[in-house]
Amino acid sequence: MTVLLAIDDLAVSYGRIAALRGVSLHVDSGEIVAIVGPNGAGKSTLLSCIAGLVRPAGGTVLFRGDPIAGQALERTVRRGIALVPEGRHVFAGLTVLENLRLGATIRTDRAKVAEEIDTYMDLFPILSERRHTPAGTLSGGEQQMLVIARGVLSSPTLLMLDEPSLGLAPKITDQVYDLIEQVRARGVTVLVVEQNADRALRSSDRTYVLNTGAVRLAGASADLRGRADFEAAYFGLDLPGAGA
Amino acid sequence: MNSAVQIAVDALSLGGLYALTALGIGLIFSVMRLANFAHAELVTCSAYVLFALSGHPLVMAFSGAVLVAVLLAVITERIAFRPLRRADPTTMMIASFAVSMLIQKLLIFGLGSRPKSLDPVPFLSQAVSIGPTQVSLLKLVTIGVCAVLLLALTLFLKRTSFGLQMRAAAENFTMAQLTGVRANAVIVVAFALSGVLAAVVALLFAAQSGFVQPRLGVPLMITAFVATVIGGMGSLPGAVIGGLLVGIVTTLLQAYLPPDLRPFREAFLFALVILALLVRPNGLFPARGLKERI
Amino acid sequence: MMGALFQRIAPLLALLALIVAITLLAGIADTVTARRVILFLVNVVCVVGLYVFMGNSGVLNFSSVGFMAIGAYVAALLTMPTGPKGMFLPDLPSWLAAAELPALAGPFLGGFFCAVVAVVVGMPIMRLSGIAAAIATFSLMFICYIVLGNWTSMTGGQISLMGLKAYVGLWTACAFAVGAVVVAFAYQETRWALALRASREDAVAAQASGIRVARLRLGAFTLGAFLCGVGGALYGHFQGTLRVESFYLDPTFLLVTMLVVGGMRSLTGAVVGCLVISLLTEILRLVEVGIPLPGTGVTLTAAAGFGDVVLAVLMLVILLFRPDGITGGREILGHLARRSG
Repeated sequence: MTVLLAIDDLAVSYGRIAALRGVSLHVDSGEIVAIVGPNGAGKSTLLSCIAGLVRPAGGTVLFRGDPIAGQALERTVRRGIALVPEGRHVFAGLTVLENLRLGATIRTDRAKVAEEIDTYMDLFPILSERRHTPAGTLSGGEQQMLVIARGVLSSPTLLMLDEPSLGLAPKITDQVYDLIEQVRARGVTVLVVEQNADRALRSSDRTYVLNTGAVRLAGASADLRGRADFEAAYFGLDLPGAGA
Repeated sequence: MNSAVQIAVDALSLGGLYALTALGIGLIFSVMRLANFAHAELVTCSAYVLFALSGHPLVMAFSGAVLVAVLLAVITERIAFRPLRRADPTTMMIASFAVSMLIQKLLIFGLGSRPKSLDPVPFLSQAVSIGPTQVSLLKLVTIGVCAVLLLALTLFLKRTSFGLQMRAAAENFTMAQLTGVRANAVIVVAFALSGVLAAVVALLFAAQSGFVQPRLGVPLMITAFVATVIGGMGSLPGAVIGGLLVGIVTTLLQAYLPPDLRPFREAFLFALVILALLVRPNGLFPARGLKERI
Repeated sequence: MMGALFQRIAPLLALLALIVAITLLAGIADTVTARRVILFLVNVVCVVGLYVFMGNSGVLNFSSVGFMAIGAYVAALLTMPTGPKGMFLPDLPSWLAAAELPALAGPFLGGFFCAVVAVVVGMPIMRLSGIAAAIATFSLMFICYIVLGNWTSMTGGQISLMGLKAYVGLWTACAFAVGAVVVAFAYQETRWALALRASREDAVAAQASGIRVARLRLGAFTLGAFLCGVGGALYGHFQGTLRVESFYLDPTFLLVTMLVVGGMRSLTGAVVGCLVISLLTEILRLVEVGIPLPGTGVTLTAAAGFGDVVLAVLMLVILLFRPDGITGGREILGHLARRSG
């Protein structure tokens, strides 16, 4: 297995506040890797930094061996990295079909794109029904499916999802993770940030626990499930000054 | 005596010009939140090119006007607005005011402030009869050109991949970039399109007024600003409808105000804007995603 | 106690000293230079008026020249000698045609009238922010221009109004400039101004903490309009003639440039910007006339209009490379005040 994404000693700060302090992790080709942690742990900052939305203060981000930190935003997707940000950012005024087409902005194989769009339409009949209505009118779960499909349509090597289950009913969350599993089955590597630790552990190969800007625990998801030090790392109980 | 037909033709031809100008301003505002005062000078400079090339075939003169307007639009973007892209909208607006004044002053400096007369489309300066009324052929053509151009731009935005990218960028620039939309390309094309629109407006407007001077575009630009505010800054359909509305209201004020008050019709118009903003601060068609970015 | 007060008003004293020193210097200079300095002092009144609103609220305002025009015409109509008034404006209402108030009442009545207008038109406009506010104030300036330019019975329309009492000399202008700076400084030390500056940084948070942003803005807008009205009246009674054309785009740009170049977030910025631009304009004017380079026999000349081009370029350069202006938004000697807490 080859290392696709290697992050070493990454530091990011917003003004005086350090959001990430020396994070190191790696993602291998074909994996689903989860990053879990409480609010404010620095999870979203990590994804933003990989995508080029935030400039790091130190450390390296290597994608297929190339340094990518601080690159122009529009180059991210051209390198093969798709980010599905938190909060379901559909283009609310554009139609469902237009949203999907935008996902394929960088591709030139139009016939193939049209075919893939049809696949998603079959997978989620609601998208097909609403293809010509503004995406802003879809429900939360439908919008989440739409943005994931939009991300995958760029045919990325690495798909990054930020809190894909946030605010969704458990049944919808299952659908979202089924979709992620299907995407992986087609050879796409997945890096997913989750606050719902249980869900993340069930659906990923490996998990990193992030808290107060640093990696506290890492390991195979199956091993971490139910381990006592997992909860301690997640809630920061092992940190100095934590209530004992 | 003003007939209904004549008033309608006046209103639509004036509204069409305002709509095209407002659209040129709105295109740029929608993708980069810049209220571009210098749009006036795109119109003015195009008109000067038409003046300089008068005597040559219309196609050639008009091509020259388009070329100069597009170049000027793209150059001002590159020099003045690109470095300020991350600045707040008010700084960009002051910068565009400075660019506008700079070009005006350069024109006065280089060409003098005296108006120069031109007649780029002499074959249109005749009247045609619609039923019992005589209307100006130029105004009819103006309406036609505006309609065709609006249609073409709509098709470009709705049917082409680049148009889709521009609409996405207008709604959420960062997300658009994340899907691979190239920021510079979208903004440069927006400026280039605004240049084309300005050149068309220059041709039609100069043909009506018959002269060009360094401030030719200023009143047009100010009125078009009003139109975009009424329509909803950042909304392209809003800009068009706002432009048409302003044209119609201006024509009606001209036709029906008591003669003593006619010179003040613009004042009434602008007072209407302030009133409209009171009722709908974001215009008739508020653009999406505008709140978090203004 | 005295020390603390002194530290607090140190920026004000420094600015006043600067203004008085310039006036004293102009007193011993030739008449042409003295006239330039009077114009500078009148501009200080107007730029300070613009600053009171724009600096404290952070909202763009293009309307000050409109208020200058209103102030100038109100003062002229109320204080002009009845003879020339009847000649230039034969259609005035009789009470106005007969009015001939003392000259010094002009600036104050002009300013007061502007303040009243500002309260009325400001009420809707002050609810707007950002671009919408900028366009609304620009419209306001345009309305003033159109109305005054076409209201022939009141203003003479496109014809120049002549025969105003030209009483504004060096020390009158100086007194008004000093007054404007004192008023602006006193205002920015009030809690209203403080709250308004808080809203400049974050309007939503300010509103959430109970600050009535629109009302505070209206206060600053009204005070600013008053000062601009006074400035306009002084301008008219310095020139002795009035033309609606002199209250349009060029001075609008000039005032905004002065404030932005100086730094729109401090009173020092307003005064310094005014001074720098006035000096630069003067130098450029000399270049247009031709400066002989000593010893070379070469005369440096530029065509007329060159100065305006340079001014616009300077404005752009400042915006691109030093958007907070020369002062960076700080007050002169402001560190004293800050240290005293």
